[in-house]
Amino acid sequence: MNTPDNLNPYRYVSGMTRRESLKWLGLLAAGSALTVTAGCSKVVEETITPNAGHWPDVDIKPVTAKGYGTDPNMVIPPESPWPLTLTEAQLTLVAVLADWIVPKEESHPSASEVQVPSVIDEWVSAPYHGQQKDRVTILHALAWIDDESQLRFQQQFVALATAQQQAIIDDIAYFDKHTPEQFQRIGKAFLRFKDLVLGAYFCTPEGCKDIGYLGNVPIAGDYPGPTAEAKAHLDGVLAELGLSQYAYRD
Amino acid sequence: MMAEFNHKVLVVGSGAGGAMAAYTLAKLGHKVLMLEAGRNYDPKKETPMFRRNSEAPLMGAGNKDKNFGFYDATIDGGWQVPDEPYTHAENTDFYWWRARMLGGRTNHWGRYSLRFSEHDFKGKSRDGHGADWPFEYQDIAPWYDKTEEIVGVCGTNTGLDDMPPSAPGILQPPPKPRVPELLVAAAAKKLGIPAVPMHRAVLTRSKGDRSACFYATPCGHGCSIGAAFQTTTSLIPMAKATGNLEVITDAMVKSVTTDEEGKVTGITYVDKKSAQEHALNADVVILAASACESARILLNSKHTKHPNGLANSSGHVGRNLMDSTGAWLGAQIPALKGRPRYNEDGHTANHLFIPWWGHKAQEKGELAFPRGYHFEISSGFREPGSGVSGDKQGYGPELKQQVRDAYGSYVGFALRGEMLPNPDSYMEIDESVKDKWGIPVAKFHFKWSDRELKQIEHGLITAKQILETMGAKVGELPPAEKAISKGGEIIHEVGTTRMGSSPKDSVTNQWGQTWDCNNLFVMDAGVFASNPHKNCTLTIMTLAMRNSTWLAEQIDKGVL
Repeated sequence: MNTPDNLNPYRYVSGMTRRESLKWLGLLAAGSALTVTAGCSKVVEETITPNAGHWPDVDIKPVTAKGYGTDPNMVIPPESPWPLTLTEAQLTLVAVLADWIVPKEESHPSASEVQVPSVIDEWVSAPYHGQQKDRVTILHALAWIDDESQLRFQQQFVALATAQQQAIIDDIAYFDKHTPEQFQRIGKAFLRFKDLVLGAYFCTPEGCKDIGYLGNVPIAGDYPGPTAEAKAHLDGVLAELGLSQYAYRD
Repeated sequence: MMAEFNHKVLVVGSGAGGAMAAYTLAKLGHKVLMLEAGRNYDPKKETPMFRRNSEAPLMGAGNKDKNFGFYDATIDGGWQVPDEPYTHAENTDFYWWRARMLGGRTNHWGRYSLRFSEHDFKGKSRDGHGADWPFEYQDIAPWYDKTEEIVGVCGTNTGLDDMPPSAPGILQPPPKPRVPELLVAAAAKKLGIPAVPMHRAVLTRSKGDRSACFYATPCGHGCSIGAAFQTTTSLIPMAKATGNLEVITDAMVKSVTTDEEGKVTGITYVDKKSAQEHALNADVVILAASACESARILLNSKHTKHPNGLANSSGHVGRNLMDSTGAWLGAQIPALKGRPRYNEDGHTANHLFIPWWGHKAQEKGELAFPRGYHFEISSGFREPGSGVSGDKQGYGPELKQQVRDAYGSYVGFALRGEMLPNPDSYMEIDESVKDKWGIPVAKFHFKWSDRELKQIEHGLITAKQILETMGAKVGELPPAEKAISKGGEIIHEVGTTRMGSSPKDSVTNQWGQTWDCNNLFVMDAGVFASNPHKNCTLTIMTLAMRNSTWLAEQIDKGVL
């Protein structure tokens, strides 16, 4: 589903979304021209040790931009508070990976349809400590995934067939203590990437609908409290836990 | 203009204490000039109502510019304020939260508004620790009523010994509890622990120009409709409406000035916009700049008559620094996974909480620590932000389902407890460091004692029991030394200009009037003789109302 041929799901409708970045729009204008360039990241492969796998040597330029400061306009948040730093190639890779993590489902959009790649770009380009740490993690992860693609299939990740992409994702997306040693480091980094993609997806209006967040709407009169369905569920939980006799009364 | 206005009283600070003092005096017909170190701020125009995390940079996540997230109401503040550093002694952690804006920290506070009880005012008499307050609960009870009436507090009279009742008709109805809170209440009850409606400075019925809560958009962002109390939508405009209040913003007070006899004559301040220093005279000065900022001003106001700083003949200015204790324990409740969705915003904070239930056990000597705590409950279907919960294994629909199932299934207990004063916790002036305005900065010393650590230990064990009663698996508990918050982190710093019944061991009398200068008052949490677990703001306002009323009487009598 994520082969180069069907990258056109990433076509944006101008004005539809909140945080369009010029770079991302530029990428889309390029359509399926997926010439992958080295960009500003110098990727050097480490010698692959038999057990520990490989890890890229990425030349990461520090972000020196200023933050939005201690008195930003909160009512109209800044659209682009600092320069974005991902290359088109990196953004494309982020988009493809993000859609493996959050693909389009029947009634829910994919990550790239709600501009998750732009949010990731903003995140890793931000001048704050936490984001700078993530920048190192994410840029290494992106480079590793392309290195791994080259090693296994002699192509960049975005150019691989779906089954080939899935083979790599399967190896890195289940990070825990049982993960093979060569996938430990990338597994952990990919988990962080998944965190950000999931956050960026679920906080959109579409994502909120998907997860079932029903707030942020004004209520006239008193707060109604749990619905009949929610109360019935709670009663079941209390019974199951042997707590029915202790149920709260006003 | 100021000459025409002809103020009688200068109030330093526009937060809980300063705004209540200014409102009370203005209402009683006295002209007040208020100085605020930060910029002007209008919640009606500047509050990001209904804004979603997805509209904010970094999904609204916090950073060094906006510690509590992009939309937090705090302006030019946080753990660090640009150009206004503070220092700390070696091997000491202390975090000093400030907000440089009209209304100060009332713009973003949690709005939890619990009365101190008779236990709290006479702790030393009961258990020998710390200091008693120079009055009884009964003396302040009517002032709590008056304050709650103006502020607007929702909650109920629970009849519990830790929660003294408000007069009939004062409290507004609390919102209905949510599912996870109801589950906590049942589990706690099984363990003999009560869970009851929180008291919160949020209107559930309209009051004057201020609308009732419409149960959306977090109070921490500020509240443009005035439902969540902040001085910028209430006391300050109300005081201005009397014609007796004028406000100067961007005015960083440097020192309190005195004449040759050592009597207070006014203040000096730096206008932050021009960096020019100015002097203002007044018959009476009220410091309400926050506990540590007011103490800093006093310590920086040296005079031949006041060589250790103003109002410091006791040596207690800066001493007795206390914060609340804090700790957190949470877990996923398996039975809440995938539960039915509904809108759990409510008034965006605790509808139920667990007040301190151990006064009787402490009286009987059954507990290994002298002072209490309460639990705030974190739970619910919150607005998604930059982090989501769940095991997060795999990818695609399977991964997304884990996130959906985990949503709203976690319950956490945030402990907030009483700290006792100790000789290792205090602030002084670091003469070697000055801020951008040339004012020597505060230097902090801080240490928890065993009394706090034992309390934390008890709290963690209790929280674990409640979580397990709800069916959660809780791992091994962290040691109290690891679990306890850092000094200052709970942002309840108090005690640095404490009140008492003797000029020997306190800075002010029960009216917040400094023992050394009868026309100098402190009306922030610096005057607290102890730091009960119940969050300081309601009591700051109550004391400010009571004490500025007394001050007005002194003016009327011609004493001041």
